[in-house]
Amino acid sequence: MKLLRTLLAKDLRRVRRNPLPWLIHLAMPLAITALLGLAFGRAGRGEGPGLGRIRFAVVDEDESALGGLLRGGLSQGEGGRYLEPVFLDQAAALAQLEADQLSAVLIIPPHFTADYLSGRGPVRLELIKNPARSIHPAVLEELLGVVVTGLNAIARNLPSEFPAWRAVVMPGADYRQVAELIVRTGEKLDTLRRYLDPPLITYTKQAKPGEDARAGASSPGSALNLFGYLLAGLATMFLLFQANQGINDLNDEFARRTFERYHTLHQRLLPFLVAKGVFVVVMLLLCAAIMLGGGGLLFGIHWRHPGLIALLVLGFAAFGAGFAALFAALVPDARRADALSNLTAMALGLAGGCAFPPQSLPAFLRENITPLLPTAWLAQSIRDLEFGDAPVDWPGILLRFGLVAAGLLGLAARGFRRRFARGLRS
Amino acid sequence: MSLLRVERLSKSFGALRAVDGVSFEVHPGELYGLLGPNGAGKTTTLSIIAGLLRPDAGEVVVDGRPFSADPQRAKRIMGVVPQELAIYEELSARENLEFWGRLAGLTARDARTRADELLAALSLADRAREPVKTYSGGMKRRVNLGCALLHRPRLLLLDEPTVGIDPQARLNILEFVRGLQREGTAILYTTHYLEEAETLCQRIGILDHGRLLAEGTLAELQHRLSGDRLFVLEGDLSGAAPETWPGFGEHFQMIQRTDRQLVVAARDRRDPADCLRELLNLPVRVENVTLKRPSLNDVFLQLTGRELRE
Repeated sequence: MKLLRTLLAKDLRRVRRNPLPWLIHLAMPLAITALLGLAFGRAGRGEGPGLGRIRFAVVDEDESALGGLLRGGLSQGEGGRYLEPVFLDQAAALAQLEADQLSAVLIIPPHFTADYLSGRGPVRLELIKNPARSIHPAVLEELLGVVVTGLNAIARNLPSEFPAWRAVVMPGADYRQVAELIVRTGEKLDTLRRYLDPPLITYTKQAKPGEDARAGASSPGSALNLFGYLLAGLATMFLLFQANQGINDLNDEFARRTFERYHTLHQRLLPFLVAKGVFVVVMLLLCAAIMLGGGGLLFGIHWRHPGLIALLVLGFAAFGAGFAALFAALVPDARRADALSNLTAMALGLAGGCAFPPQSLPAFLRENITPLLPTAWLAQSIRDLEFGDAPVDWPGILLRFGLVAAGLLGLAARGFRRRFARGLRS
Repeated sequence: MSLLRVERLSKSFGALRAVDGVSFEVHPGELYGLLGPNGAGKTTTLSIIAGLLRPDAGEVVVDGRPFSADPQRAKRIMGVVPQELAIYEELSARENLEFWGRLAGLTARDARTRADELLAALSLADRAREPVKTYSGGMKRRVNLGCALLHRPRLLLLDEPTVGIDPQARLNILEFVRGLQREGTAILYTTHYLEEAETLCQRIGILDHGRLLAEGTLAELQHRLSGDRLFVLEGDLSGAAPETWPGFGEHFQMIQRTDRQLVVAARDRRDPADCLRELLNLPVRVENVTLKRPSLNDVFLQLTGRELRE
């Protein structure tokens, strides 16, 4: 412990005398967060949380009661806060899309409702996305995916109710039957709820008890937390890149022969690496605070479990330090080590579901590889803690991070010992 | 008993045999020099002794026990001064010394006290609080040296500690090293400077292409050249063929030959005047003959066929 304190005090002095590398490391997450905020942030400008309202056209060629329901549902309540549907004919909709006034056009084809309720073959909805925009069309596509999943689930589970529904949505139907039908179908849906996957993105506002009084229309909650969801993954991947940057000081000490000089003393190599690891951990914690805290402010994300997230980031940072130290130990050329570790970090990030939802990953990867990756442990834990209902075994995850970090640092020490013994220099 | 014993040490890097069966001993309080040109294997030998490199064969024995049996004990006995500056340039000399002292096992107070002593001894006290990056090359070298001395090592390994510094700074370091030796520290000193080995070291090992070609005191090494005198013949020797001169090969050993100069040593201990007469009678026009004591360069020349300065 005394040795570790001495090593840390030395590094702290060096940072104090030459803070520029550290400031650069900390400026990077600030710059990235600010850039994201400038590009997508609306919260600070009073334009609603995160994405703002998504303007899109609905071309209702079906003109049935279902279209009417959709028209009403999209414009009211939570949907109305985030979505701005306009109902147009196809030509006008495509003209506006061409003029970049819409994010997408949703076409409900003729006889959609009748075909769906009669079960006559597969029915389809058409979404034409605006190629000039990226986020809004993607959100609409995800939402439409949720709607389609729901419609499929209903068609598969409630076919017995469809004749009655067909009767009430056809022109000239007796609307007195509707109330009874809704109640009956609702009860059936209620029993099915636990068998249905919760949708990826919901419009359900998660309010803390006691918050109701001040939860006015202007308070940005964690309702549409697409950015929160993405931020958890992006921050995870970025932290691993930053770990590689943070370990540069170890490469520097190797190149400057101070590490070699340390090895001529009677001390073991591991404390030297642990001291470097502690610095990397501190750097990553600060970066995480900047990214998640700043991102939270910019996109109106209300982090519900900041303490637990900090703990998980701490564990991940320890893993990151070990990960970067191992590359520094195994690859003698510092630049090559940096490139290789960054490539590996990217692979771990992508396979860990950091850049996009893990549900989008190939099944084999998602089921066999992703659960083994520390990137997935952190990103998924934050998502589950903040946006999901599944319980998070954070002590178990922390333990795993700790074990992996210790193992990697031990391997790094062994790698450096071998490098010294073989006379390999940077 | 020797404090350091190196036995048949060998180390290869791929096809390159950097150290080839090197053996020598350093006694307590002795200053032993390893002399050789760049690439001779001095640093590799020293790195093996310091425990940085693992030898392919051979053994290092420190204070009677093999290094490999207890590396930590051996490292406590040693202080290592690497050839490259291995110090923190952002930190001051004092901070560097105290840091390496703490790592060497001293308490904070002992490290401070010892750092004060060393700063004074190395003439660094007046700039002790300034960052090392503001120091001259000689001052940095002294800090580099001092960082190995905090724990008063009984055996000091110095790898070319005066490379790249001005003559005055070099003299300061050499004087400091002499002082350490006088205080009883055993020192293994590698250098490619002949003068340093001649004036500083009590015993010298000559290393070339990884092999220890000869070792001994300066006098012993000089004596290898048929006593302690060499004859330098100057003149037009471009067309000369000494090997064909009658009796030359029997009485003289050719050390070096150029178009203008021939350096020879007598093979026996005849009177120098007889040797001179014999040399002047050689079938070649000699303009000048001088008699000199052999230098380490002459010894190296005789051993390797080339000058150390090449």
